[in-house]
Amino acid sequence: MSELKVFCIIPAWNEGKNISRVVASVKPLVDAVVVVDDGSSDDTYDLANAHGVVVLRHATNRGQGAGLQTGNEYALLFDADIVVHFDADGQFLAEEIKDLVEPIKSGEADVVFGSRFMEKKSDIPFVKKYVIMPLARMVNNFLGISGMTDPQSGFRALSRRAIEKVLIEHDDMAHCSEILMKVFKNNFRVKEVPTTVIYEEFGQRFGGGIKIIKSIFIKKIIS
Amino acid sequence: MNQQLIALTIIAFFLFRLAWQKKRNKIKKGEFIFWLFFWLISAIAILFIKKIDALVAGLGFSGSGIEVLLYIAVAILFYFIFRLRLRLSKIESDITKIVREIAINNQGKK
Repeated sequence: MSELKVFCIIPAWNEGKNISRVVASVKPLVDAVVVVDDGSSDDTYDLANAHGVVVLRHATNRGQGAGLQTGNEYALLFDADIVVHFDADGQFLAEEIKDLVEPIKSGEADVVFGSRFMEKKSDIPFVKKYVIMPLARMVNNFLGISGMTDPQSGFRALSRRAIEKVLIEHDDMAHCSEILMKVFKNNFRVKEVPTTVIYEEFGQRFGGGIKIIKSIFIKKIIS
Repeated sequence: MNQQLIALTIIAFFLFRLAWQKKRNKIKKGEFIFWLFFWLISAIAILFIKKIDALVAGLGFSGSGIEVLLYIAVAILFYFIFRLRLRLSKIESDITKIVREIAINNQGKK
């Protein structure tokens, strides 16, 4: 089989503190790194650019979902076969990218999600693990997404075919649920693999979860 | 009676303002017609407030005519806020599309 081109999309907003470390760790493991600087007011753009990777710059902050879709569209334009979504805050491990990409390369899956709730142990904050995640699973079930151990995984790999179909319309954090919904709706073959998440900050809070539900509701009405 | 006079004066003020805006082409024709009807209907409602009182009482409402008009106004306002929220969402989405296109087209330029 000919080598498939793997692009890693890293949306970044004011991540000057982490972006160099993240890009340096990911760059040797993929064919192209695409950093989407989402209107940062710090030196994220320059720091990413110094690594000689592709850096796309949003003129104004549009949200993580918008950044990922910008990266996806760029990847499609430049013939990517597989796209990996990776966070700029350094909470994912670059060496686990191969675990996400492998099932797509072998033809086993179209979309692979990293899960914090499988064999590998992530030090997930208590409230997140026992309150927010169960609620997120309930919302996902309501949206027709079932059987996922991790309801809000941001570490994922998608085949070109999936990227073409799964257009991210939620600019904000609701994109996690949106991607899952569209992946299930299009009957793509899905696989979850265990991944590690390093929590330095709490991440999405309860209020953020409410915003996600509101965002999904509004989008359903206008689309 | 005094309350009716105050209300009619306020409506007259908005009607003059509307005519002034139309004369200076500050509002579109459709918008002008909408507000003209809105204020005229409001004036009619105030002039015939007793009849409206009787009508709402006949419909089984416990409040006076003006109270029922207020309830309706609040409901309409909520509807407009909802419409505005949807329109804002659409504009946000359009801004993202423009920002994205610029980002991709400007790749490599600084």
